[in-house]
Amino acid sequence: MSFLSIKNLHASVGGKEILKGINLEVGKGEIHAIMGPNGSGKSTLSYVLSGREGYDVTEGEILFKGANVLDMEPHERAGAGIYLAFQYPVEIPGVSNLTFLKTAVNAVRAARGQDELDAINFLKFARERGNILEMKDELLKRPVNVGFSGGEKKRNEIFQMAMLEPSLAILDETDSGLDIDALRIVSEGVNKLRSPDRSMVVITHYQRLLDHIVPDFIHVLADGRFVASGGKELALELEKEGYAKFGIDDGASAAA
Amino acid sequence: MSSNENTVRIVDSFEQGKSSLPGNWLAGAREGAIGSFAAAGFPTPRVETWKYTNLNRLARGAFDPLAEIEAPAVDAWSGLFVDGCDRIVIVNGRVDTAASTVGELAEGVIVSALSDAIEEIDPALEKQLAKIAPDEGAPLVALNTAFMRDGLVLRLADGTVLERPVQVVHIVDSGDTALALHPRTLVVAGDNSQATVIETFAGADGAGYWTNAVTEIRLGRNASVRHLKRQSESTTAYHTALTQVRLDRDARFSSVALAVGGLLSRNEVKVAFEGEGAACKLSGGALLRGRQHADSTTEADHRVPHTNSDQVFRNVLDDNAHSVFQGGVIVRQDAQKTDSSQSNRNLLLSAGAQADTKPELQIFADDVKCAHGATVGDLDEAAMFYLESRGIPPKQAKALLIEAFIGEILEDVADGVARDHLESAVGDWMTGLGKAAAE
Repeated sequence: MSFLSIKNLHASVGGKEILKGINLEVGKGEIHAIMGPNGSGKSTLSYVLSGREGYDVTEGEILFKGANVLDMEPHERAGAGIYLAFQYPVEIPGVSNLTFLKTAVNAVRAARGQDELDAINFLKFARERGNILEMKDELLKRPVNVGFSGGEKKRNEIFQMAMLEPSLAILDETDSGLDIDALRIVSEGVNKLRSPDRSMVVITHYQRLLDHIVPDFIHVLADGRFVASGGKELALELEKEGYAKFGIDDGASAAA
Repeated sequence: MSSNENTVRIVDSFEQGKSSLPGNWLAGAREGAIGSFAAAGFPTPRVETWKYTNLNRLARGAFDPLAEIEAPAVDAWSGLFVDGCDRIVIVNGRVDTAASTVGELAEGVIVSALSDAIEEIDPALEKQLAKIAPDEGAPLVALNTAFMRDGLVLRLADGTVLERPVQVVHIVDSGDTALALHPRTLVVAGDNSQATVIETFAGADGAGYWTNAVTEIRLGRNASVRHLKRQSESTTAYHTALTQVRLDRDARFSSVALAVGGLLSRNEVKVAFEGEGAACKLSGGALLRGRQHADSTTEADHRVPHTNSDQVFRNVLDDNAHSVFQGGVIVRQDAQKTDSSQSNRNLLLSAGAQADTKPELQIFADDVKCAHGATVGDLDEAAMFYLESRGIPPKQAKALLIEAFIGEILEDVADGVARDHLESAVGDWMTGLGKAAAE
């Protein structure tokens, strides 16, 4: 049985069809990269997987460990083990990162039939996981993402992933807006979280992230459909020849 | 009964009952006050400052300002008592001596029930009581002056420090009698003195009642007073209140007023800057549901140079609740180098909720800084999804965002137990979230 199975997925935003028949099988522990130009539907796919309001599935199905994902609320999906690292992490003034994480960790633990962590054990756990991402203690005390640099926000996304221990992580353009050092820290963090029990879907515009997080499979998304799939060598082809090779007009981003 | 007929009724009841009010020496002031109330009547929406809060129903209500109702046991209300405070407890408008506790105080510090202070004919009281907040142009203050009976008096001699906060707790539980309560608090803080004062209002549903409170606060040079108010009245009650503050040179005043109770409430805080270098921070707001209405009206009156005022108000409104913020700032011609800021944000949790917000800046000096901003909005959908995507159920996510929103007015409450007192009002309100509104 496939771990994540997406069949003929169609989805619309505001009545406009963005995903036009996505098929994807992700096995346990596999890393799949999804590449594509702007507007191809990459972020829509990540929001549909995590259940954001306003992203309407009109056809098809998503099964995760055999369960129908589309029947679940966003928080239930998180409890089931699906995690989305946001392209644009949201700032939440007035809620400290620690309060937020403690609430989240205990919510998913409850959903998974585990006991709540008390304050002391939670802090121990947060420190230990924070070290993986070189998170400064100060960032834990600050309000969620408020006043964080671009790199700190993305690091915070992977830190949350380390805390919530998903079995499927979707990384939505985690590399965008990162300088080389931040990219290294974030991708090293991701690599430390790789495990035979954890699958990942890495969405990116650029090849360079895949130098750091080496995927098992690559899929090219264009206009709401996959137009090519293959091994990691596909990324190099894309880098060299651009999306035009797949008949995609991507003048704006080919230069990048 | 029309509003006018009711005004006549209230004046009549004053004439009949005035001999039962404490303090012969106050008789003249009371007569004058009832006269100005009789002339003015209840404020109507035709008066600009009452445009958004209509007292029509209150003005027709037959509330009894004189009835003496046997005080019920206060045990049921002891959850409102802040630990480690000196405390004056007022039940149905009269001090409950057994429930009140005042420990040893530093020399020069006086904490007492207003009725006791009035009977002692303290000459210092004569100079201050009903002098800080004038009756003129304020019919509800005048009405309070006419009928005031009990409350808190706190006096600090120059250079004294109130070690523990002092709390005055007003409890109304009057069964079938609809009471009008006119409590008064007087705080006179001498030069270089320091104090924290907590005012708490609560009551049982019963026949409904009306609290009409006046708080007078005067700060001497370089004095520092923190004022906290928790309004947890019955949701069938009316609550109108004025806090009038006067600041001498370099005095610092802060106030946090949180309303969760009352069917209709109005909390007015007015600060007059009378000495250079003085500063105030006024915070407050309300958490409302059902058909509750709460009005926060402020006035920072900068009369002299080099003074600062900062206002932070937040309202959270569910169901068909209605909030009003009228943020007044006056910068008079002489008040150069005034630095004032004001922010009011309103969070609407339902389509039927309504927030009126009106900054009112009158600036007559030219070298000043006056900032203001106001917003009205729903819960941030992006923030909700972010929290939910981390496994937090929607109800809990909503609660986190609401607590963070209202938390901005509690940020500056340094005293832990005082902060708990206000936070527990927020917590109580949150437990009712998502339940059907009481109509």
